[in-house]
Amino acid sequence: MNNIKIEATDRSPEIDFDFSKNKFSIRGESYPEDVTAFFGEIIENLETHLSGMDSGDVEFNFELIYFNSSTAKVLMGLFDTLEEAAEGGLSVAVNWYYDQEDDTMEELGEEFAEDLEAATFNMKTLEG
Amino acid sequence: MLAKELFDFRKVINDQGIIFCYSGYITEPVLTGIGEALKQKLYLEEADKTTMRNIFAIFVEQMQNVIRYSAECEPPDAEDSENELRYGILNIGTEDGKFFVTCGNKILQKDVERLSGRLGDLQEMSPEDLKALYKKKLRSPTEETSKGAGVGFIEIARRSSEIIDFGFLDIDEDHAFFALKAYV
Repeated sequence: MNNIKIEATDRSPEIDFDFSKNKFSIRGESYPEDVTAFFGEIIENLETHLSGMDSGDVEFNFELIYFNSSTAKVLMGLFDTLEEAAEGGLSVAVNWYYDQEDDTMEELGEEFAEDLEAATFNMKTLEG
Repeated sequence: MLAKELFDFRKVINDQGIIFCYSGYITEPVLTGIGEALKQKLYLEEADKTTMRNIFAIFVEQMQNVIRYSAECEPPDAEDSENELRYGILNIGTEDGKFFVTCGNKILQKDVERLSGRLGDLQEMSPEDLKALYKKKLRSPTEETSKGAGVGFIEIARRSSEIIDFGFLDIDEDHAFFALKAYV
């Protein structure tokens, strides 16, 4: 599958999906006009790729400054997908990067991660 | 005289503590533009970062609610049209040392009860309840009437420092005016 690299805009995040290294990241702000149009295909590709893997390491990095409620739905789905992949035998590490002064982003990371059992979750601070 | 007219109008707005006042057709590009100005203004206010982020988050959710759901629309029968324009009012200001974000738009009378019920429920919920509802809704299939994730109001309630305030005004048989205020 072709790697996906989309540059950030003022309202949408940078997407860096490396399917050969199984290293994925979403970085920046996310409140695009049409969340489905932005994330739809990207997520689909990721899900197809993960379901085709029997084993291996997967690293998913989130480094978000702000995301709207429509994006939150996508992220929740993504966390569920990653947990499913981990339950299926993949070694999944989810890293949530946040500004150490941003209590909200810290809390949101913890909330999304509450239901992760098979996948490993790491909170990582960025200096402000 | 013209200058006085506009100045008096500005004074009415200022007296209410309003910093940003937008009344007009709200589109995504409008959101982008005002959003940028808002970010700059908040930065200059030197409000603490959490406050700034909460104001911005509420602003985005309220604007997107108007963009998606305002019943005052041109062309009048537009539905999911890329070229529709939806009308609303958005105010951001300060009051008693707090920031507020207010939005107002026309809605259909038939939606008043549903909205009122939903918002009334949110007013009664604790932060833990709001969080649980938020997660539950994020995971459930999107409602037919929803164009987003269905959690905009919950997000607004969570980001506010006080219980959200809302109200409805009857306009005519088919329409009411809906207003929502959040404090940060």
